[in-house]
Amino acid sequence: MRVEYINPFVESAFNVMKEVLQADVKRGELYLKSTSMPVMGVAAIVGLAGDVEGRVLFDMDKPTALKIASAMNGEDIATMDDLAKATITELANMITAQAVTKLHELGFRFDLTPPAIFTGDNMEVSNQDVEALIVPMEAPQGKVEINVAIRERA
Amino acid sequence: MSAQAADTLEAGKRPDEKKERADKIDFKMVTFSLAGKEYGIDIMNVKEIANAGRFTYVPNAAPFVRGVYNLRGDIISIIDLRTMFHLPAERKDDDSLESLLILRVEDHAFGVIVDNIDKVVGVSSAGIQPPHPIFGDINVKYIKGIIENQGKLYIILNVEKLFAPKDEVPEQEMSALRRGPAPVAAPATMVAPGPAGDSGPVGDVNAEFIRETLFAFRRFGVSAVNDGWFKARYTEWKGMRKPTDLQLREQADADAYLETFYSRCTGELWSEDYAAAVVEALPKVESRSINVWNPGCGKGYETYSLAVALRRAYPEARIKIWANDSDLLAISMAPNMVFTPENVPEHYVDHMVKGRNGYTFNQSIRESIFFEFHDVMNSNPVPPVDFILCRDTVSFLSAADQGKLFGDFCEKAKQGGAVILGTNERLPLDGWRRVGDGPAAVYVRTA
Repeated sequence: MRVEYINPFVESAFNVMKEVLQADVKRGELYLKSTSMPVMGVAAIVGLAGDVEGRVLFDMDKPTALKIASAMNGEDIATMDDLAKATITELANMITAQAVTKLHELGFRFDLTPPAIFTGDNMEVSNQDVEALIVPMEAPQGKVEINVAIRERA
Repeated sequence: MSAQAADTLEAGKRPDEKKERADKIDFKMVTFSLAGKEYGIDIMNVKEIANAGRFTYVPNAAPFVRGVYNLRGDIISIIDLRTMFHLPAERKDDDSLESLLILRVEDHAFGVIVDNIDKVVGVSSAGIQPPHPIFGDINVKYIKGIIENQGKLYIILNVEKLFAPKDEVPEQEMSALRRGPAPVAAPATMVAPGPAGDSGPVGDVNAEFIRETLFAFRRFGVSAVNDGWFKARYTEWKGMRKPTDLQLREQADADAYLETFYSRCTGELWSEDYAAAVVEALPKVESRSINVWNPGCGKGYETYSLAVALRRAYPEARIKIWANDSDLLAISMAPNMVFTPENVPEHYVDHMVKGRNGYTFNQSIRESIFFEFHDVMNSNPVPPVDFILCRDTVSFLSAADQGKLFGDFCEKAKQGGAVILGTNERLPLDGWRRVGDGPAAVYVRTA
């Protein structure tokens, strides 16, 4: 993944999560991965198109998703209902949109697809050809992994 | 992930899964003990078990050969595994019987004496774990793996390796193990235990250690790519260090050993003559577009150097360089590198512009390079390229990974394309021809 793309994603993930959760968020060590990887239980996915092709996946487990949804809505959400799903989708949308805006300022043209959310147990994403950058974020509500796989259109 | 595990448990899937795993027994081994520890041997290698004694002594045989035995008409050699592995063995008196495993390795049968034969244990081969390099008693290469079964750990011996024919055993080590002048009494396929099995590149245990520690400390993989340098450096190293101080004990030693490995102009912009030598050796490109792949570009000095060198050689061409490195810190700096004009070779200054903090390369050079945070061991999404610039990068991969990367070189390089390796590296592949013997190791693809 191009070096220029990394920082916008890391920064906007950090800023947005800190702002919406009103809490101390820590960034973990970035790394690359290309093998299939398990999804923790709730995954929001945003597609990217334009100069590049790829996707951004926000991965967390169910309790974390519920806690984040609760914090963002200011009320206790106990089940993964429509409101909870919509909230996580919105978080994904905010982070990706802010990153893409930053990239736009740097002269890269990306378009976003509307986010989609997947929930379930024992899910796995596999795409052997695409190398993903993993940005682990540690919030008091739990761990969120942002999995960014973008490549230039050849 | 605890929540996910809990969910699974609720659904009642967990016990099923465990049962399924336990049911899949696909590896059976005969277990036995040596000096109180449990071992196993693949049942396919075991012909039978027996109790026997009164072996016929063979003079001048290796100490671990107890003699020969007549097994229903077949004469087989009897080997004492405890002596072979330097474990304490209780020497019974001549009339008592020893526990014997009769092994079959290829066409040979051997009798192996152990302390006690236990039973046949069926396990799932998926549960076999690779041996840990610090297993004390037995040389790690004779161990196939470790498996846990009903609370006991079994060390599975690799019978093929143990009794495989090996001819590069140095004579003096072999004879050291024999009593006397060593007529061949042991089976011809017998190999001495210990470090004698696999001689190093210069037939020296120290060289073998250095090879291992270079990889452990700096992930430097000695292979056909660089063993010419490695051997020469080892000779030099022996001259520099005291014989007791040859081994690399810490990273600083590894760095000192590797000091002469790096190519000219590493970590700085290429000097004008080096850049000229590289371009000179590269084949001429007829097309108006030049694609380059630069795996392991580090901080990007060599990428910029090559970009400028190609720009000077082909002013009209469209140059594109895909430069990648898996070191996030190094590669993050690359796109915005700032220089002071006094510190760069003169011919670069024309291609730089003055910015707020100093000089940077101009837009035309910068736009020709894509710096990517990427691990070459993952799939490499570069289009077919004319040149591959990969100095001192292949050597820092394990031998298996080197093979994989070379496979990608062959896939990505165009016909007539070239690979630039480090000064002390060579390309051990068919279908590539080295150009000249200048400071740049350039190989052109011929097939």
